[in-house]
Amino acid sequence: MSIKVRIPTPLQKLANGQAEVECGAKNILELVDALEKDYPGMKERLSDGGKIRRFINIYVNEEDIRFMNKEETAIKDGDIISIVPAIAGGCC
Amino acid sequence: MQLAITKADLQTITDHCMKGLPNEACGMLGGKDGRVGKVYCLTNAKPGPDYYEMDAEEQFRVMKDLRGQGLDLVGLFHSHPTGQAYPSSVDVAQAYWPGTELPNYPDAVYVIVSLMDRTKPVARGFSIEEGKVNEVSLVVIE
Repeated sequence: MSIKVRIPTPLQKLANGQAEVECGAKNILELVDALEKDYPGMKERLSDGGKIRRFINIYVNEEDIRFMNKEETAIKDGDIISIVPAIAGGCC
Repeated sequence: MQLAITKADLQTITDHCMKGLPNEACGMLGGKDGRVGKVYCLTNAKPGPDYYEMDAEEQFRVMKDLRGQGLDLVGLFHSHPTGQAYPSSVDVAQAYWPGTELPNYPDAVYVIVSLMDRTKPVARGFSIEEGKVNEVSLVVIE
């Protein structure tokens, strides 16, 4: 068993075109490091100074990490992690 | 490139945008092959007359629903309560992954509804890619 990570379209090139990858980690920060190890460039895209970038939402199964333990949110084998870019904008 | 949408679905969008006044309103469009099949009206989590941010939890649920129904995300819509139906610089900047020119949702048409004339909302579609905004025809079907 391992953790499945859904990769959003803009980052799939870094992940060799894959929409879903597997890796092992105990929390979100470790997950970012694990992704960076396998797919260099991921860490910079996802985080800045150890924090997940604004306008990027991360879910553990169906829970938003912002309402859990943020970057320290624990994850385990069998979890599905979704990385979802926020949708925002505004006039003028 | 074009996006086909029924008159009823377009009405659902404009009704949601009118209901959101004076703030911007937003939502997502599910469908297949350039045709809208389902309109999702979302909450503007950071409501303002010149800003929107789709509620993240609702957005996540819509994506799950799309996967479950075998639909694609064919469009994203929002209103400009006092502006033209054209992407603003903020709309264009937010279409990309932070700090890059990689479009977040390259297959989605950005539908913008201008409510400058409250009695005649104007909806237009656009693609936002590689820093360029191109109009996508909205084809309204009965």
